[in-house]
Amino acid sequence: MTLKLFTLLLQAAISTVGISLVSIAIGFVIAILLSAARLSGKAIYVAPTQLFISFFRGVPLLVQLLLIYTLLPVIGINVPSVVAAIIGLSLCTAAYQAENMRGGFESVPKGLIEAAEVTGLNPTQTFFRIRVPIALRLTLPALVNEAIMILKSSSLVSVVGIIEITKMAQDLASSTYLPIPIFLSAGLIYLVINWVIAMLGRYAEKSLAGTSA
Amino acid sequence: MLKKHLVKAALGAALLISTALSAHADALSKIKEAGVIKVGTETAFAPFDFIDAGEHVGLNVDFFAELGKDLGVKVEWVALPWDGVFPALEAGKFDFVAGPATITKARLERFKMTAPIAEATVAILKKAGDKTITKPEDIAGKAVGAGKATAQLAQLQEYSATLPKKVDAREYVSFNDAYADLAAGRIVAVANSLPNIAFVAKQRNGAFEVVTPAFGKKAYFGFIGKKDADSATLVEYVNAEVLKMKKDGRLGKMQEKWFGTTFDTPDEVNDPAF
Repeated sequence: MTLKLFTLLLQAAISTVGISLVSIAIGFVIAILLSAARLSGKAIYVAPTQLFISFFRGVPLLVQLLLIYTLLPVIGINVPSVVAAIIGLSLCTAAYQAENMRGGFESVPKGLIEAAEVTGLNPTQTFFRIRVPIALRLTLPALVNEAIMILKSSSLVSVVGIIEITKMAQDLASSTYLPIPIFLSAGLIYLVINWVIAMLGRYAEKSLAGTSA
Repeated sequence: MLKKHLVKAALGAALLISTALSAHADALSKIKEAGVIKVGTETAFAPFDFIDAGEHVGLNVDFFAELGKDLGVKVEWVALPWDGVFPALEAGKFDFVAGPATITKARLERFKMTAPIAEATVAILKKAGDKTITKPEDIAGKAVGAGKATAQLAQLQEYSATLPKKVDAREYVSFNDAYADLAAGRIVAVANSLPNIAFVAKQRNGAFEVVTPAFGKKAYFGFIGKKDADSATLVEYVNAEVLKMKKDGRLGKMQEKWFGTTFDTPDEVNDPAF
């Protein structure tokens, strides 16, 4: 195991981290929208939301990625590998994050929402100023958990042609015949990245705990 | 009323986009216009295509670099697991497949293949010094590995049926995984094309040995393009490049560089042995 090989793994880590973080952020926004649609209580919004969540939670991410990569061109949308990877991860994590947030949204005290309405906030204001902040604070640990899951799941995106940590490790292991040090290093890199995510999550929890919602 | 208009507008836009994207144009002129040819491959097929300490190298890389020079375009590589390469070609993810792939009847039905770039006849790779395997038929009843969705696996299965005891054929995501399992002793042999296993035996100095003669039917490797009308000129061009490089000695030099030997290949294979 030379420094050169380790540097190559670190370079591959850039695509792992980049694709995962972008996907988690996009997934977060979609999850908030899904939650809003579900809280509206109107069947026309709720039904598609349920369908979305059950599809993206129920179909393996690997299958989703292959579908997005090879199915979209059939309807005339030919996206490059990196976009296909981000779409796949984002939609999948959106479904999970929306489910995580549901618990948070359901725990917002009814009285608070009634109070918001009485003070004249419209439903959109109530959603973004009352419900979202409280729900997020309650579901932050689950969100950090999901971020770590997605970072690890991103090892699947090599099936659509992305060279990330795992794929690079496989390529290096088969050309250098040094599987043990290479896979150990790859594992170590994942561990460090996830440790950083966990620390950031803990920091965010602490700073949110100090504020009043 | 407004909703109806919106729906109409959205449908119209979708229609415009899809026609713009699927507008029929000749693949070769599209590549020239874009200044880049996209080539799909699997980077676990040494010495045609592999990652050598982080660098993508092999006969494919040399060949398409020359082709890019002749055509005046850049070469962009897309690396996928082998069983994902053909679906992605059909989905239009890239213009051509390097691979290379064994020229077989089934593939010719679905794709266009170029003139051979090397021989592909399948033989056995065993652990060095394994005295239980001295000829191909010795693999009867034993565990032998090959890559998933490969012609080599099909050849192994066909050969297995002719043996007194069937071979326990194991399928691997890539041949590299099969070599690793051979080294670890989980299988006793790997069935792959001669140029590949000769290279592996040389690389892993002394760990593996090639068992001769080859057991498979005589076969050749070619590059793969799409069969539709738009791709006709592109396939023709790549095919002409293979023949041109064969004639001016560039292909021979590449074979010498990667296999340590040259192959006597025909200019076209219209009726493969399987």
